[in-house]
Amino acid sequence: MVARPSPGLIGRIVGIILLTVMLEFVVSTLLYERAGEFSIKEDEARRLAEHLVIVQRLVDERPPTERPAIASYLSTDRYKVEWQRSAPDRHMLSAELRQMRDQVVEWEPALASAGLQLQLASPVSNDKVAGQIILADGSWVHFKMYGLETGWGLKFNRIMLALIPAIAFAILGGLLVRQTLRPLRTLGHAIESMGQGERIVVREEGTNEVRHLIRAFNQMQDQISRMIADRTQALAAVGHDLRTPLARLQLRIDGSEDTDLRLSSERDIAEMEGMIASVLAYLGGDEDSDASMRVDLGVLVATLVDDMTDHGHRISYQGPDHLIAMVRPNGFKRAITNLIENAIHYGEDVRVGLASEPDRIGLHVEDNGPGIPEESLLDVLEPFVRLDAARSRNTKGLGLGLAIVSRMVEREAGTLTLTNRAEGGLRAEIALPHPRSAKPAPRQQ
Amino acid sequence: MLSCSPSLTPSFLPQSSTTAPTVLLVEDDPPLRTLTARALQENGYVVRPAATAAEMWATFEAGPIDLILLDIMLPGTSGIDLCKMIRQRSSVPIIFISARASETDRVVGLELGADDYLAKPFGTRELIARIRAVLRRGVTEERRAVPSNRAEFDGLTVDFARRQLFSRDGAMIPLTGAEFDLLASFLSHPLRVIARERLIELSRARIGDSSDRSIDVLVSRLRRKLTDDERPAPFITVRGVGYMLNASVNRI
Repeated sequence: MVARPSPGLIGRIVGIILLTVMLEFVVSTLLYERAGEFSIKEDEARRLAEHLVIVQRLVDERPPTERPAIASYLSTDRYKVEWQRSAPDRHMLSAELRQMRDQVVEWEPALASAGLQLQLASPVSNDKVAGQIILADGSWVHFKMYGLETGWGLKFNRIMLALIPAIAFAILGGLLVRQTLRPLRTLGHAIESMGQGERIVVREEGTNEVRHLIRAFNQMQDQISRMIADRTQALAAVGHDLRTPLARLQLRIDGSEDTDLRLSSERDIAEMEGMIASVLAYLGGDEDSDASMRVDLGVLVATLVDDMTDHGHRISYQGPDHLIAMVRPNGFKRAITNLIENAIHYGEDVRVGLASEPDRIGLHVEDNGPGIPEESLLDVLEPFVRLDAARSRNTKGLGLGLAIVSRMVEREAGTLTLTNRAEGGLRAEIALPHPRSAKPAPRQQ
Repeated sequence: MLSCSPSLTPSFLPQSSTTAPTVLLVEDDPPLRTLTARALQENGYVVRPAATAAEMWATFEAGPIDLILLDIMLPGTSGIDLCKMIRQRSSVPIIFISARASETDRVVGLELGADDYLAKPFGTRELIARIRAVLRRGVTEERRAVPSNRAEFDGLTVDFARRQLFSRDGAMIPLTGAEFDLLASFLSHPLRVIARERLIELSRARIGDSSDRSIDVLVSRLRRKLTDDERPAPFITVRGVGYMLNASVNRI
């Protein structure tokens, strides 16, 4: 992938903020320009004009010492008048109300020569208008008017007009940031699927930091899968290699005259071989190409049950003769075998059931054994977990039996549930998605 | 894993042979080679041991061999390659020995022309039983009668190398080893009544199943597996005589 120069995540975000602030600035400026075109009702303009003319004349007549007094005398609840020697400070952000001024001047043209100016008193307060006129001697009359009735809801419109661009730009900014962070989201999904054992190479895109992160993730993923593969291979190799000395032992004791020794050694060898087989099954080291295919589960389960019946166990099957499901035949057979063997080990009467339900395929194995303490029902699905010696379900082996079942069922996008039956014994239930509803790749998002 | 056939004793001698069969044993682990050779000798076989592929070829040239016991994981050459090379020159029966109990390995071996597959660890009884079964199968017509890997009958498909059966709509129908052997026996004699005794004999050629069950139970189970909603399984019971596969078989 060609490395495209990129301003970096921080640069990108700063850029987005700058862009939105600038747009907001431009639009607000235009808005303030428009404030000059705000108008007030005709009678309001006339009243203001008359009042201003009176103020101008009365203040102008008095000597400067009396002017503050007369100014305050002329102030009412709605009009506040002040006399000042110099030009009043104008609020930086107050907008010029040109249209309103023209309306007033139209009623009293004399005010135009008095240099009438009108502004919004502040950007926040909406119905307050400030203004000033200049007197003949160059001093100023400053006035404020409250409770102004504007021609068109100045208050509401000003808020809306200020808010709409702000909201619009916040959304625009949000979308841009979202777009910038999109590769991170993809990465997040990839990490999630990696946790489920799937390997996804994420395309390197986005800003420098993100691209770097994605590259690091892809490399880490490779390293982890290589490491796991190495370990698995090593363990599998040990498992396979152990079978040669076991074969030697088996052949050696076959020649032994001592029947007791031979039988007990045979049991030990069988147990060791069982451990190796279960580790290899758990690691997947013995079945590397168990492809998913349509399998007649009805026949599969019936076959396993028949086999156990032939070995003298009390086991029954209730379900259809034929039921097609999409599974990996060897792995799934192993899972059902483990459940059945487990049930036979702990109970005398085992019932296996299979049913096609509207939204799933349900398979259960019930025994009448001691069950599993409620608090351990989830633990036993973990690998290498064995319950305490007194109530142990896995007296022999490595404690992988149910972990293998759990793993095989997970691979088929199914669920495994263990429950203690009310009448005693354990019920293990596998729920598989229906082949009709199952997608070809069940984990795809 | 252990097959125990009650008729098997250490003094067993293969039938239908005046001289003891010669087994070429290819195994790289010296103690296991010695132990396996001893077990074979004690059961009346002549053993020619070989540790490497080169030794194997030397022995192979030296004299007639009745069966090759071949370890799949040899240093240098893989047993799979060796099997291919042997098959190019001879149809001598081959039994693979492997530390991998994998279905895949078994299938690969059988597809390459091996006759059976033995997983480590194995005991003397299982070893001898497998050899005996393969040798016996070597002289029956069944082996020659299965030239192709697949066959089709009554809409169902059989893959002999993988020992799998597929239904009319392509779903795999799991069979036990004994059931598959029984089916294979039917398939090599379609539209002919086969006596129960003959079926027992034919199906015993391969010891894949350890339990001792009667041929009638096997037939009824096979029948149940092959019956579906649309039609019954194509087996006809001929009372007092045996059974018949009532369908023609197309080799694919």
